[in-house]
Amino acid sequence: MEVSDLLLDRAIAIGARSVAVVGTGKNVGKTVVMRAIYRAALARGMKLGLTSIGRDGEANDFVDARAKPRLRLAAGTLVAGALGALPRSPALEWCESTEIQSASGPISIVRVRTESEIELVGAPTASGLRACVAALFAHGAEFVAIDGAIDRIAALREEDAVVVSCGAAASTSVEAIAAEAGALVALLALPRHDETSAALQLEGALTPMRAAEFIARGERRAIVVRDATRVTLRGRALLGALDRLQIRVERPLRPVAVTVNSVGRAGSVEPKALLQAVRAAVALPTFDLFAASAA
Amino acid sequence: MNAPEFLDRASALAIGEEWLAAAIAPCSPYGARDVQIRRRFLAGEERQANAQAARIARIAERFDLDAMEAVRATLARLPDIAPALARVAVGDSLDDAQALALLRFADGAIELQRRLAECRDLPDSAGESVDRLRALFERGRVGSHAFYLHDSFDDALRAERERFEEARARFESARGRLERTVAESLGRAARVDEEFIVMRDALVAPLPAGVRVVREAPTYLLCEIDLDEETRALLERREDAARGVALAEERVRASLAQRVSKLRDGLVRTAMHLGEIDAAIAAALWTRRFACRPAEISSESGIEVVEGRWLPLQERLERGGGAFVPSSLSWSGAAIVTGPNMGGKSVALRTVGFIALCASMGLPVPAQRARLALPPMIRWLGIGPEEESRGGLLSSFAGEAVRLRDAFTILSPRALLLVDEFARTTTPRESFAILVASLHAARERGAEILAATHLAGVAVAAGARHFAVRGLRGIPARKPGADIERLLVALADCMDYRIEEVAEDRRESSDALALASLLGVDEEIVARARAIVKTLAE
Repeated sequence: MEVSDLLLDRAIAIGARSVAVVGTGKNVGKTVVMRAIYRAALARGMKLGLTSIGRDGEANDFVDARAKPRLRLAAGTLVAGALGALPRSPALEWCESTEIQSASGPISIVRVRTESEIELVGAPTASGLRACVAALFAHGAEFVAIDGAIDRIAALREEDAVVVSCGAAASTSVEAIAAEAGALVALLALPRHDETSAALQLEGALTPMRAAEFIARGERRAIVVRDATRVTLRGRALLGALDRLQIRVERPLRPVAVTVNSVGRAGSVEPKALLQAVRAAVALPTFDLFAASAA
Repeated sequence: MNAPEFLDRASALAIGEEWLAAAIAPCSPYGARDVQIRRRFLAGEERQANAQAARIARIAERFDLDAMEAVRATLARLPDIAPALARVAVGDSLDDAQALALLRFADGAIELQRRLAECRDLPDSAGESVDRLRALFERGRVGSHAFYLHDSFDDALRAERERFEEARARFESARGRLERTVAESLGRAARVDEEFIVMRDALVAPLPAGVRVVREAPTYLLCEIDLDEETRALLERREDAARGVALAEERVRASLAQRVSKLRDGLVRTAMHLGEIDAAIAAALWTRRFACRPAEISSESGIEVVEGRWLPLQERLERGGGAFVPSSLSWSGAAIVTGPNMGGKSVALRTVGFIALCASMGLPVPAQRARLALPPMIRWLGIGPEEESRGGLLSSFAGEAVRLRDAFTILSPRALLLVDEFARTTTPRESFAILVASLHAARERGAEILAATHLAGVAVAAGARHFAVRGLRGIPARKPGADIERLLVALADCMDYRIEEVAEDRRESSDALALASLLGVDEEIVARARAIVKTLAE
């Protein structure tokens, strides 16, 4: 079985009808993961819908001037995309013009009629994303893939399976990449608050300062925030806080897998070592789509 | 000299113009444009105002609420074709999103024509231009509501697409062969992706042909498929065919745009009709929902309102399970409304202002019967948000004086002045004097003036008709600890809000002490106040 199939299966196994791909940073291979999931679902004959949380980055990698991977979509694929980013040719089937606004114009729901490359520019807000996904389902999509971004996890939905992508784009240290991935997965996987247990409900965010105060006074109650976006601790600080505090959310997310990309603009790391280190840090199935390997 | 502003901000806020605008707001861009260009009826246009209100009332009678809601749902779905029409007007091509908008517009307009058939009070929502528009884009219809620039629009487009499909299939086949060959050479089960990693320690032989190294690392190679000459040629052919498709598609879009431009005048007319329909249905829905009736709009002076209602309050009360008590008033020149605190004096003024506003917009009015002239302006004089927003710059009275000055600068016959406890913050003697003088002056200029006041003797001094709120039917029992909402409910239960004309010299009681007691003011203070009132009366 191909790695992309394994990835898709992880989402389907939890009953999700949609998967969102988020990265620990830019150029960590999110689009490659999207493409892999897309192809795997397509090979199974699923009717697919694609969208994105806003626009993710530039079209070309500035370091080596190589074009970033793009999505070549097969006929029948539904897309929720910004009017200004959708190609004029080959002609698309226009299903709906929505009121959802993006920086590149209102979001439209289109169906690909002739295989073509499409830049995904979707709704920048959580409510807009929800409306886009609902529209894709309404127009016949059986499964929806969402190209996400680390700074926009607020738009993720409880119903989505989440795949986390990490890589050497931001760091050339295996340990640092693994720690970053581990922290992001821990953040996304914060458990739902059990209403029978003693809790301290936070209206705002759990900041590093507040977390330090709770740790200092030995807070034993669950600290409940609305969702992962309300926790502003990152990396090792988050992992440290999770060791000492019971941080819970009202709206949990569902990370199902992690992918690694050993090649980045800042350099590269040893692929096998990265795969193993990340697997150990995240405790989730981990895949390297470039090397067609899994851990 | 410019005509005076019909309503200034403070007056609009006081009589509920914003509420009315929201209540009769259209739901389509066409209706929104219709509202923008619509103006109020002015003196001399009584016949048109009466006709317009009668037309809205007939529409409200002709369709039930569900039917009107269904029309509004269709209107709300209508896409705005103004951008598309603007583009074709200057010879630009259309894009496919606009083609979808035009097709859906035609569908919606035809559906409205069916729903509104035989209603002579509404213009046609469709017609030949719309029929031809739908026929033009029908070939692109997919399912019930989608649009695709289908091959059937043009034989050349079909041919280019067939050429592209063939070129694409040949390229994909050649590329697939390369990918499979490379995957087999590398011992991989699956086909390789566009970029892939080959571990150096897994390489038992040199990289197979057709693989290009993108980046070398100590332990692995980042590779991509290197297209051979034949596959590159096929890729070139595919790209060439794609350019052919793009050109053919543009030709079809240009041709469609040209044909739409010929329908433009008819479509612009239809768009205007849709705006009228939207505005009329919104008004009719409101008319039916609030049981409004056309007023008798005449050119003669005097205002008569029978069972008038101030709808912003009626709606709020009904939402909370309460009921609004209508008020009736009839006067020419000047009239006074007196009564207890919280008895509805201000609401009576707002009711008259609201009815005058509706009449000037050609709307039926919330009253059993109403007769009035079209006012050139409505002004609310009293302490309102405008004064509060001035902060410390002007005292309450100074703010009122400025508004009085401004109103009299532009006061003209038939203007409606609503004076709510004017000058209440100055001494009663001077307040009385300025109010009576204002009433005389306004009447001399032919304005209609209705004033609410606690001051005794104003009606006699001003020679005005005197209306009074009936007031409290007994004093509600004080309920210690009750919240303000419950106290207000108790008060409302005891208050008779009906208004009746009274003898000119009737002395008014404000029931202020009873209210103070009910609202929890220290009983000792209230008792002392009662004693003082008694002494003064003696």
